[in-house]
Amino acid sequence: MKTIVLLSDARNPVSGRAQLSRLEAQAIGLAADLDETPQGLHVGPGEEGVAAGLGHGLRGLDVVEAPEGEDPLPALAAFLKDALSGDAPPALVLCGRRGEGGLETGLVPYLLAEALGLPILADAVAMRPGEAPGTLVVDQAMAKGARRRITARLPAIVTVHPLSSPPQPFAFGRMRRGDIRRHAAAVCEVPVDVGAGERPHRARPKLMRTAGTASGGANLHVGPEPEEAARLILAYLEENGIRGYGRG
Amino acid sequence: MSRLRKDPRAERATKTVAEAGRRPRLDLGRREASPASGRPRRDPWREWAASLAGETVTGPERKRYDRSQRQMNRADAARFAKERQSLDATDISPGQPALRVVEAPAFAVFAVVEAAGGRLSRFDRQVLGAARLLADAGDGGGAVVAIVPESVEALGEAGADRVLALPGAATPAIRASMLRSAVEEHGPRHVILAEEGDSADIARRLAACLGEPLFADVEHLTARQAVRAIRGGRAEIGLAPPRLMTIGEDRAKPHEAVPCEARPLEDAAAARLDDPAILSVEIIPGDPAKLALSETDFVVSAGNGVNDFAAFRDLAAVMKATPGASRVVCDAGLMPRQAQVGASGTVLAADCYLALGISGAPQHLQGIAGCEHVIAVNTDLHAAMIERAGLAIVQDAQLVMPALLKLLQERGA
Repeated sequence: MKTIVLLSDARNPVSGRAQLSRLEAQAIGLAADLDETPQGLHVGPGEEGVAAGLGHGLRGLDVVEAPEGEDPLPALAAFLKDALSGDAPPALVLCGRRGEGGLETGLVPYLLAEALGLPILADAVAMRPGEAPGTLVVDQAMAKGARRRITARLPAIVTVHPLSSPPQPFAFGRMRRGDIRRHAAAVCEVPVDVGAGERPHRARPKLMRTAGTASGGANLHVGPEPEEAARLILAYLEENGIRGYGRG
Repeated sequence: MSRLRKDPRAERATKTVAEAGRRPRLDLGRREASPASGRPRRDPWREWAASLAGETVTGPERKRYDRSQRQMNRADAARFAKERQSLDATDISPGQPALRVVEAPAFAVFAVVEAAGGRLSRFDRQVLGAARLLADAGDGGGAVVAIVPESVEALGEAGADRVLALPGAATPAIRASMLRSAVEEHGPRHVILAEEGDSADIARRLAACLGEPLFADVEHLTARQAVRAIRGGRAEIGLAPPRLMTIGEDRAKPHEAVPCEARPLEDAAAARLDDPAILSVEIIPGDPAKLALSETDFVVSAGNGVNDFAAFRDLAAVMKATPGASRVVCDAGLMPRQAQVGASGTVLAADCYLALGISGAPQHLQGIAGCEHVIAVNTDLHAAMIERAGLAIVQDAQLVMPALLKLLQERGA
């Protein structure tokens, strides 16, 4: 199935240089399992950081040139709409959870799904084609190692979870052989709405995680019988909702 | 200088007492009565009476007072009240009502909680605490509406005034559309979700279908502003709290004051929604034994006080926990290196940690600094782990392990 991986304009948090986001590299790895020739799509001023995606397994990269600081959503939606109505429509659009180095709201895949009228599935860790043609089985990551296995009808947009398999190793020759196609964006000139009052970040402490009874010492039991100790431990676990034994 | 300058003449004029037929008198001790703050007045006598713990059993009769209970939190107060049936809730917090009731709310604040298994997690309590903060902002009078997928206990203690159940949703898309119709019906001033798992997904779906901006992963929330990091944590933006927000973990305090009433809201019968693109949904539970230590929520860990590692592995499997170990045990080759907990091993994010025969070296305690509940089984009463633990048992771990296994088998777990 034809797969397109969306590549964002990620920035290194320390140096501020353009780079390929790790999550998108993982998405390329997932796409390479489904598609022999996965393609990348990037909207931005150039391919400086995202070209590394070719070294991680992309076969081709479409770069829609747009000035820096412009909203990529209209250009992305227009490109994908063209592709979906073309003669070889993509079945699957993969993306990371959120951009790195921009506003980082994680809204772009959802707004894109809304604009294209496609279903969106979040937090995929593994994917395989479904038994029926035109379907996809997606494993979504949930809390405590649980997975939700969803069979969805294609085409769809899927975002990738950090727990999915690590990216393929980078190969320089593969990056040089990759095909980069440049497109001019239709003029839209929608600047990204940065809220007023952007200022340097101040690290704020998180709440401390301490047990409520740590100071009291009310729960100290010196030399109980082992059976009594076992009963106390299970009662504590059940009282605090950690595990319920014998209740399923 | 923001301090007001003293005006001695004006002060003198306010203290001058003019009485008819006598010359003006200066009353220097006179003070203006300060305006009433509206805060309920403390009653020390009542507090004193409430702190009466009993009388001495031996020797001459003397009353015993437990003065530590004056500023007790809700959990302690509930335990205290359970042990002393004769007390009212108002005796524990004098001057405060036992239940907070918002009869006609001026506005609503939605708090969407996951509440897996019908219990509020720590993060759920924080989301409700953040909603409580915004409901009490400004003039107050707002109501926190908890949006729950099933019936959940202890919502009132966590600060929910109303409860709206949106049951029977298999996928986030269906939950988001149900939440959207609830938002359109009730028109809340704020909607707060957790920046984790399905809640983060639902928040973005809601923002996309409502066409509203989302203020994601709030790091700092007060009544006046919400702050989030952007540009890879190099910059931040602060706004007056917007309508749609997701809040990060451990960023807002849970509600600890007077419990609210958690009155169920009657919802118009929600139409059964369907997601046409989803053909089937199946939940595969996670296997704790195969999880990495950094992902799991419950770790059972062995230290130098454990010799029988076969029994220890059985115990971890039966308790549905991930096995861990201290550095000494990993160095001796009794457990694999990836099971090591501590500064040079894995720093845990688990909820609960059961330490069997671990005394608690500082490097080990660093590894469990993020655990909320710690249970220690150790022979040494003065071990650091016993001090750190929420439940401390001074007993040989080798004796407790078989007893635990036997008890769990009796329960059929």
